[in-house]
Amino acid sequence: MTQITNPKRSWMILPAHDPEAVMRCQEFKPDVAVLDLEYSVPPKSRELARSGLAALVGKVGESQAGVFVRVKRDTRWADVRAAMYRGIKGIVFPGPEEFGEVTELGELITALEKERGLEPGATELVLMLESARGFWNAASLAKASLRVTALGVGRIDLTMQLGPVPQGEFRLYRFLMTRALIAARMLGKQPLGAYWRPGSRGGVASKESTAKAAREGRLMGFTGCFCATPEQVAAVNEGFG
Amino acid sequence: MNEKPMPKYIRRSLISLSLDDPQLGEKAYASWADAIILDFVRKPGTDWQKELLARMPAAIGEAARGGAEVFVRVNSDTAAAELEATVFSGIAGVVLKGVNGAEDIAKASERLDALEESRGIAAGSLEIDVEVNTAAGVWNSLEIARASRRIGTFTANEHELCRDLGMLPEPVLEFEPLEYIKSQLITVATSVGGQAHGMSYPLSLTQKNVGEEDLRKAVRRARDTGFKGAVCPHASWIKVCNEGFRPSAEEIAYYRKVIEVFAEGLKRGMASVPIDGKMIDVPVDLRAKLYLEWANRAQARDEEKAKAHARPAS
Repeated sequence: MTQITNPKRSWMILPAHDPEAVMRCQEFKPDVAVLDLEYSVPPKSRELARSGLAALVGKVGESQAGVFVRVKRDTRWADVRAAMYRGIKGIVFPGPEEFGEVTELGELITALEKERGLEPGATELVLMLESARGFWNAASLAKASLRVTALGVGRIDLTMQLGPVPQGEFRLYRFLMTRALIAARMLGKQPLGAYWRPGSRGGVASKESTAKAAREGRLMGFTGCFCATPEQVAAVNEGFG
Repeated sequence: MNEKPMPKYIRRSLISLSLDDPQLGEKAYASWADAIILDFVRKPGTDWQKELLARMPAAIGEAARGGAEVFVRVNSDTAAAELEATVFSGIAGVVLKGVNGAEDIAKASERLDALEESRGIAAGSLEIDVEVNTAAGVWNSLEIARASRRIGTFTANEHELCRDLGMLPEPVLEFEPLEYIKSQLITVATSVGGQAHGMSYPLSLTQKNVGEEDLRKAVRRARDTGFKGAVCPHASWIKVCNEGFRPSAEEIAYYRKVIEVFAEGLKRGMASVPIDGKMIDVPVDLRAKLYLEWANRAQARDEEKAKAHARPAS
């Protein structure tokens, strides 16, 4: 196993259209502030979120947390352009499916680093797997760009076409976690994921169930995960210890 | 459904023994294991190759005294030198550890081609068994399995694999963290006509020396998930593995009845026949025949070992 030193444990998702909410995150001390252009931004606020990102990235970049921007798969090119400013640490790409998509985004980042005077090659790329194709191609995706530093289990309810929220013992989830973990460990990337239980994930997960999900994720070999609320940050940091 | 022998090998119990163990022969003989895996240490500052070359042939003979198949465990990254020093007539094959991809198998297989020729071993007869202990070994398992016709079995070295995956090798979760990895290895091994060896959870991780009844249940679970044998960390496991990784006496009795009743049904022109409320059709009849064949082969293997035990030591 390639040793992963100082893994980033808590990746707090913050709505990029709401600067106040974003700045408040500094109190909770997540390892990573994920400025979100995806699900936590209502469609009508997306343009606003993009236009404010340059300033926001710079401001949060001065704090302790590393600043990542989660782009939306369908608008990832415009989103990456809006995110690549001084202070940016990396881009979170949700739902990659093919090698070429990752290479292409990596090249766009390279061009923007050059254009905007950012350190060449320093911007990281985090791949969150969300679809059947993505999980199957996990290793190939992670090899598609030298920028890829982490491979994670993203939202799978929609893209895996699971229908109603799964209940009880959710074995498919464990299978997908295993697949992401193996690919990540094989390639020395940070594996991101927690063993969330149906009905207790995202914004509704309590402090206790988050801590349990993180702890079990760690036992399974993961080193960090995404979270959405202040109390989840502390629980995740504790769970991944 | 194919009608190849199932399983490929009657290799229910395997134990590892050190070449440096002064009681190697006695332990192998007393174990009644179906297979012995020989381990050696490359002592730094010595001409380990020369030493092994001198000691291997006798050690293989010692290990085989009780009728066990003999394998030697070799590290994939230094396979060429290790194979050169350890492959002699009398071994059934090698256990290759640390395999990360198909090229590791191709290289080892080429070395075996040459050694078979130079040391008077039947061409293509030596088996390569894969001991998976890295993430890459799991991810690339299908390519690995397809890399050579020599591939016989897959075994996960679960402790080392956990370390490589950053998993805690203790059964503290309420589910088995390696469940899908084991399923994958069983499927992959079977897909190339081989088989997988392993124990059921949590014993697979604790490796404890539990009581016979608990062990019996664990072996049954392992057999019923698709494993055809297990590497035994304790000599006490061997007997239970030999008795458990095969059809049980109840199954044999039941399947005999299935075959008999089904044959009578066919004579009367029926394609499915009830036994004790269950319907017996062609697949069940076929399984019955395969299970009886499996039982017969296991019985034959036991007799073979008994004969070896009856022979006076030379």
